[in-house]
Amino acid sequence: MMSAEGATEAGRQVPPAATEPGPGPGRAPLLARIPDIAPLVVLLLALGIFFSIKSPFFLNYDNFLNVLTAAAIAGIIAAPATLLLVAGQFDLSVGSALTFCGVLMAYVSDKHGLAAGIVAAILGGLLIGAINGTLVTVVGVNPLITTLGTLAAFVGLARVIADGQTLPVNGFAGLGTSRPLFNIPLPVIVFLVVVGVFYVVMRYTVFGRAMYAIGANPVAARLAGLRTGRLLFISFLLSGTFVALAALINVSQLSAASTNAGNGLELSVITAVVLGGASLAGGRGTIIGTLFGLLVIAVLNNGLTLLSVNSFWQDVARGTLLILAVSFDQLRLRFAVDT
Amino acid sequence: MTDAPFQLSARGIRKGFGGVEVLHGVDLDATGGSVLALLGENGAGKSTLVKIIAGDYQPDDGRLTIAGQERTSLTPPQARDLGIRMIFQELADAPTLTVAENISLGRWPTRRGLVSWRAVKRRAAEVVEQLGVDLDLDAPVGSLSVGERQIVEIARALSDRARCLVLDEPTAALSSQEAERLFTFVRRLRDQGVALIYITHRLDEVREISDRVVVLRDGNVALEAESGSVSREQMVSAMVGRSLGEVSRPADVHQPPVDATPALRFDGAALAGEFDEVALDVHGGEVVALYGKLGSGIAEVAECAFGVRRLSAGRMELAGKAVSFRQPWDAIAAGVGFLPADRQREGAFMVRSVAENLAAPSWGPLSRRGFLTADREATAYRRWHKELNIRSRDDPRQLLATLSGGNQQKVLLGRWLERQSKVLVLVEPTRGVDVGARQEIYRAIRALAASGVAVLVATSDYEEVVQLADRALVMGRGRVVAQLADHEITTQRLTQEVGG
Repeated sequence: MMSAEGATEAGRQVPPAATEPGPGPGRAPLLARIPDIAPLVVLLLALGIFFSIKSPFFLNYDNFLNVLTAAAIAGIIAAPATLLLVAGQFDLSVGSALTFCGVLMAYVSDKHGLAAGIVAAILGGLLIGAINGTLVTVVGVNPLITTLGTLAAFVGLARVIADGQTLPVNGFAGLGTSRPLFNIPLPVIVFLVVVGVFYVVMRYTVFGRAMYAIGANPVAARLAGLRTGRLLFISFLLSGTFVALAALINVSQLSAASTNAGNGLELSVITAVVLGGASLAGGRGTIIGTLFGLLVIAVLNNGLTLLSVNSFWQDVARGTLLILAVSFDQLRLRFAVDT
Repeated sequence: MTDAPFQLSARGIRKGFGGVEVLHGVDLDATGGSVLALLGENGAGKSTLVKIIAGDYQPDDGRLTIAGQERTSLTPPQARDLGIRMIFQELADAPTLTVAENISLGRWPTRRGLVSWRAVKRRAAEVVEQLGVDLDLDAPVGSLSVGERQIVEIARALSDRARCLVLDEPTAALSSQEAERLFTFVRRLRDQGVALIYITHRLDEVREISDRVVVLRDGNVALEAESGSVSREQMVSAMVGRSLGEVSRPADVHQPPVDATPALRFDGAALAGEFDEVALDVHGGEVVALYGKLGSGIAEVAECAFGVRRLSAGRMELAGKAVSFRQPWDAIAAGVGFLPADRQREGAFMVRSVAENLAAPSWGPLSRRGFLTADREATAYRRWHKELNIRSRDDPRQLLATLSGGNQQKVLLGRWLERQSKVLVLVEPTRGVDVGARQEIYRAIRALAASGVAVLVATSDYEEVVQLADRALVMGRGRVVAQLADHEITTQRLTQEVGG
């Protein structure tokens, strides 16, 4: 009976409008009603129109495939990265892990053959995932710091193994360069299949749904009976595994493993995921959004290259995009949740 | 301290929020060298009143005279300048800094722009000496007990020229030993000429510590008296007042237990530092309330029943079988459901849909080989949407954050209906829920019990106990202090038992 006063006394009473059944979508604030993906589609179209006008080489099938091929490596890694970010986790070690897995593959296949090399690369990816996962879920280290540490350690380890050299890999070009269907490069097909698989996982499996719940509120997730630690560990393992797959494609494309192969890859991946609408606060994000984020970055890079803009400017553009995306996320959160 | 005794007078203070007046012209006096106890139930207007004194709220009407200055309202900096300081229940210290640093927190003495650590230590030593406490000035505050940390906060206020100190339920989280220690300091401060306003729920403290007592009820002063001349019963009836008759037990509350074996049973249960020797049983079909104040151990007992924490001693049984839950999912698998006290922090996925929120614990049973469709979730949501009378758009994808507190709580309650839990453990089920929704939640809980579920409600709201419980256990400082059966559950009994 005194409760109404109690609520008012604290000055926190919910305005009556919010307690009534909203008759329609007209009540949601404007910014929260825009589909997550709409601004990205607009941005992508704008970039496409701009580059089509500026460069005669932009708008054709081959260049379209170039864009997709350029997005493939980051895209294969961005799929599990979306899953992780949705659960409120980061993996910054992906670039360094890609370098490490590639070098490991080249090193082992030189001694024991290609098959052994492939197995070694995948085991290497799992190892890094297991280390990240253990540190985050068992020891409880912040994921940013954990993966920053593994980032530094594994690129160093790769250089130790390769002795700082680029290691050649022969007879393994098929994965990276063959074009089995409509002249589409195999990496693009792998990329699209991975995106498709993660689409299903994140939308239609208990595992995927649990990641959203963990990201939205880890304490509540545990109290709802979700095995948060185990699920996050599996996600880090997935991240490592797909990094290994991307590393194999990278090695195959270059017929060599470079100790610089994954430099800066983490930036591209995180930018794409955040640009795609995954919230840094966790609990929100989709794989389709990430796909568009990847396309925006790839189109931007491709277009700037076609216009012969100095490649250093591409880094500036990517960094700016990341900051814009994160700022947009903050504004959305403020409007969506505070009301 | 200055020579003229500090005097604070509030006259005819009125304050409303959103058209609802919560203070209807209240008078209050605090004098240097005396302790004023401020009593009242939740919502009586205590915190609004002291926030006006501290400058956090501006009164709609009335005037304040503080240390000879007359004002119609105050800003927080003005209140500070006049020497008014508040010590809240939630500690506002910096746990990783030392005692000395905390005492000077935010106004560290400087020499030529650099912090002078000698002066920091000296100032801390002075004020600790003045308080007559034994504190290691170099110890990080986080390593101290809650009681000691409170004393550090008082020391901080004191070193910052405090002349009027407002203590908001300072003993709520203290052991009786620590509370005794705090009383010693309060008396010492009083003797040094500080005016103290002491907010409390505990009636026995009023006589022990205060010179005068003011009881607020529904935004009015219901009683003002010398603490020595007022009886416990007078204070209780002043606090509870006419509402005593209003909170009546619904006729259908009492349900005879269906099973002889209790669905949930604790025997000699203990959790180190939180509670000890707790014995309770809840049968299928009954609602048992665990009533106590903050820090009494009720929330911890509830958490142990759900595997959030593990008993350090004693036995827990589910339907006659000994169990030991390591994690919440063990409890859920065994048929226990749980509603945490802090809905936002521990219960809700605010940025996710209502359907997901309701279905989360049932994802396993709802899925086929790990695959789950939004359809099945929506069906689960619709099953309970009507039953629980959840007021929302007819859209399972609506975000939980867009519902009112009461309706959010219904969604979270729906989780365990969908999961078909046999035992429900609810902590403060209607905290922050408006009156109408509160009744609906009570109805839903009673309906659950009627269907054979065993319900344990841990609450600090005695009205909730009266309206909901078949039996009640009252806890104080980690022990069960009273057991009340059906007809014994009255607001008066509960208030008395918990105060003792």
